[in-house]
Amino acid sequence: MEILLQLAFSGIALGMIYAVIAFGYQLTFATSGTLNFGQGEALMLGALVGLSLVSNIHGGPYLNYWLMIPVVMVFGGLQGAFVEWIGVRPALKIKSEFGWIMSTIALAIIFKNVAENIWGKDDLTFPTPLTATPFQVFGANVQWMQVVVIIGAIAMMVAVEIFNRKSIYGKAVVATSNDRDAAGLMGINTSMVITFSYALSSATAAFAGVLVAPLTLTGSTMGTALGLKAFSVAIIGGLTSGMGVIVGGLIIGLAETMTGFYISTGYKEVPGLVLLLLVLAIKPAGLFGKAAIKKV
Amino acid sequence: MNIKTLAISVVGIAALAAFPLVFHNPYYIHLAETILIYAILLFGLDIVVGYTGQVSLGHAGLFGIGSYTTGVLWLKFGVPFFIAAPASIAVTALFGALLALPALRVTGPYLAMVTLAFGTIIQILINEMTDLTAGPLGIKVPKPAFFGHKVTEVEFFYLVAVMMVLSLIVVHRILKSHLGRAFEALRDSPIACDCMGVSVYRYKVYAFVISAALAGLAGSLYAYSEEYISPNTYNFEVTILFLLAVIMGGRKTRSGALVGALIVVMLPSLLADIDLFRKIATTAAVIAVISAAVLLVSKRKRVQELLVPVVATVGMAAFSYKLENIVDWRLTIFGLMTLFVVYYLQDGIIGFLRSALGRTGRATAEGADVVATGAAAQDWVASEQASATSTNLLSAKQILMQFGGLKALNQVDLHIVKGSVHGLIGPNGSGKSTMMNVLTGIYKPTAGTVEFNGAVISGMTPSAIALGGIARTFQNVQLFGEMTATENVLVGLHNTFKSNIVDVMLHTPRYLREERTARERAASILHFAGLSPLAEEEARNLPYGKQRVLEIGRALGLNPKLLLLDEPAAGLTAPDIKELMAIIRKIREHGITIILIEHHMDVVMSISDTVTVLDFGQKIAEGKPAAVQADPKVIEAYLGGSAGDAAPVAVTTPT
Repeated sequence: MEILLQLAFSGIALGMIYAVIAFGYQLTFATSGTLNFGQGEALMLGALVGLSLVSNIHGGPYLNYWLMIPVVMVFGGLQGAFVEWIGVRPALKIKSEFGWIMSTIALAIIFKNVAENIWGKDDLTFPTPLTATPFQVFGANVQWMQVVVIIGAIAMMVAVEIFNRKSIYGKAVVATSNDRDAAGLMGINTSMVITFSYALSSATAAFAGVLVAPLTLTGSTMGTALGLKAFSVAIIGGLTSGMGVIVGGLIIGLAETMTGFYISTGYKEVPGLVLLLLVLAIKPAGLFGKAAIKKV
Repeated sequence: MNIKTLAISVVGIAALAAFPLVFHNPYYIHLAETILIYAILLFGLDIVVGYTGQVSLGHAGLFGIGSYTTGVLWLKFGVPFFIAAPASIAVTALFGALLALPALRVTGPYLAMVTLAFGTIIQILINEMTDLTAGPLGIKVPKPAFFGHKVTEVEFFYLVAVMMVLSLIVVHRILKSHLGRAFEALRDSPIACDCMGVSVYRYKVYAFVISAALAGLAGSLYAYSEEYISPNTYNFEVTILFLLAVIMGGRKTRSGALVGALIVVMLPSLLADIDLFRKIATTAAVIAVISAAVLLVSKRKRVQELLVPVVATVGMAAFSYKLENIVDWRLTIFGLMTLFVVYYLQDGIIGFLRSALGRTGRATAEGADVVATGAAAQDWVASEQASATSTNLLSAKQILMQFGGLKALNQVDLHIVKGSVHGLIGPNGSGKSTMMNVLTGIYKPTAGTVEFNGAVISGMTPSAIALGGIARTFQNVQLFGEMTATENVLVGLHNTFKSNIVDVMLHTPRYLREERTARERAASILHFAGLSPLAEEEARNLPYGKQRVLEIGRALGLNPKLLLLDEPAAGLTAPDIKELMAIIRKIREHGITIILIEHHMDVVMSISDTVTVLDFGQKIAEGKPAAVQADPKVIEAYLGGSAGDAAPVAVTTPT
């Protein structure tokens, strides 16, 4: 029972990380109908830049963990804007779906390779900002960092939602996601909104990176699998539903920790991917998404 | 086959045959072998990426399945080549079908992710199922043996070369046949494809299965060629490498696949040598600067457009002199190449060369020899249809179509008399197009039934309804843009083909006869529509009016009993409209029943036998054109206000 509870806790923490990355997919999909296939790499870069700031690998430490977070998020935002500028904007201009899929993948490969050359190919340990001694809940060990992850993830999503609903800039984002052309005619600089959504999306990914880093190993390869599974989450929950990504994240996070414990760690990626294939085969709009009516 | 293709084929085969005689170094022979194997896979990948326009990130997985089928069969049972290779093809094709199942319902980025997930799962399974695949240890596969003779590297090269040539011929034949046209059609407009009786689902699966089968063959040959396989060979990077090869070489060409294979196989060797790379990067930068200067001076491009590629290439050249170890940066270079190709070399090297040499991608000679002769020109309708028992060809009863709370059609009855032209009019948003979509099966009505020729068709798929004899055109033109006018009509004639894939591969008399007949009919349809001079022009390059007429021609290819025209005159000039009306009249004379949606009242009122008026999803009037025109309810719907206020001025009959 304790084991099950403990697995549930790590599953939930993991699931929330997936939810935050998946939330990033939703942000860009809403404004431009595109996805950053390098979302996992944005997370990885965030974690590694954060590591350089708080540890001594590049002459640091420069900042403590909590002060580092806003710096990393600014870095993530710039990185996202760069991806949009190089990879997505030209493709939107020529209306080429193949274009942005390939170019965001190409950028992801480049980022990964650059990270490999700067931080090396081996995984690094991220110093934990909180005590590593776990506390007990009904006999199960819970890491303090897991609690931070869950709270941080939810706070991030709530903050973006409040921004979208309450501020005038947020309304521009919502307007662009509803109808890009109409928003443009109303004087909203939609290409700016799209750039912003990419910046925000990568900033959330970078934030997720520094949250998850103390719990796992940090390295250039950490992003790819996370990005793919977060995509499963976004699909399972539906690319248009905020609630969906949280539920989807929990489903996959739990399925993965359970599989890893009861079957084999080698197979832990499989349930998420199989769920992705199943959902797409049965209900492509996702569990919470709305199906679009095709117009002729 | 014309002289030029024959010459190229002979030279190509001679070059392949001579290669091992010229180069004795086993390393070079192995390299050439790898290029040929990659080419086989790329032929298949091009079917999915180039023709059906879907992004597949799962081909490394399929490649892996091919290799491991051969590997495992050898490891566990010592199965020889001539069983293992076909087994690889069959197993991989099966996985291709499996992959196509979720892929059926999704497109674009979703499909890319589905295939990526598939590829990842395959790699994990190969790694983890150690009992079967020996996991990370890999499997040693010796070169195949025939009748006790183990083939040498050179002999195996010839085997691979033969396989490549065979694949090339088979793929080329498939893509030039009605199957290939279906693949292209479903990329350009899936909905139109369905409405031409070509099931998008079925042909997507076909494309994936054929593509997977080729990946399987390539995988099997690769296992024998390398003599050792391990899970890491079939990773995500290889998938991207394949995609890069296809787009860099040039989509929709076999030569592009060969060039692409050559480049991606040679790439690692080129990048291993830093001096060579510096030279290449410098040359690329010089070429970029010069061509940018030329383009600027000739004012074909603006500074902003050229800035990124020029800065990128110059930056790359500068970077190459700072680098000490190029191998570490291999993936970055590879990513930059992908970016460059995606945005600046979209048609690939072959496409670039063709446009530079002023040649179009298509052989114009092909099909041009089929000219509509006097007799054939009249013969665009295959035969007179057997008459049905009732005089109503189509009856829609109590159709209700609800989108959320909106009733786009509310209890509408529609009866179409056989042989008539039935006008369907109404203000914007009155439900005319929704009715079209219900009749052709794109929407399933919330309630009510549609009967056609005595059978209930509501609930059937669009392609089944189309094959049953209902053809349509679209309000916003839905032609297959990258295909020629002739090919567009040939897609409409898809239903006349009974040949299967084996017929196509072997060019059996049945297939050749069907293809010839179809081309003759296409020529006569184009002649009928007045499009003969534009037969070999790509549909997207036609003037708007001609596109509308071509859409009608394509629909006629289905040999329909009922033709649905959705605003055929929209956006047409007055002379074009006259031509269109003449065509509609002629179609009717051939006994085809027509439903005509149109806003040009003069057109509707002069052609139609009966007119139905819809407003807010309800039928408000029906009858002879003159009676409908005078109906106060109709006048009210069009002009607003009460019927007494406005005189019927909006609707006038033509002279």
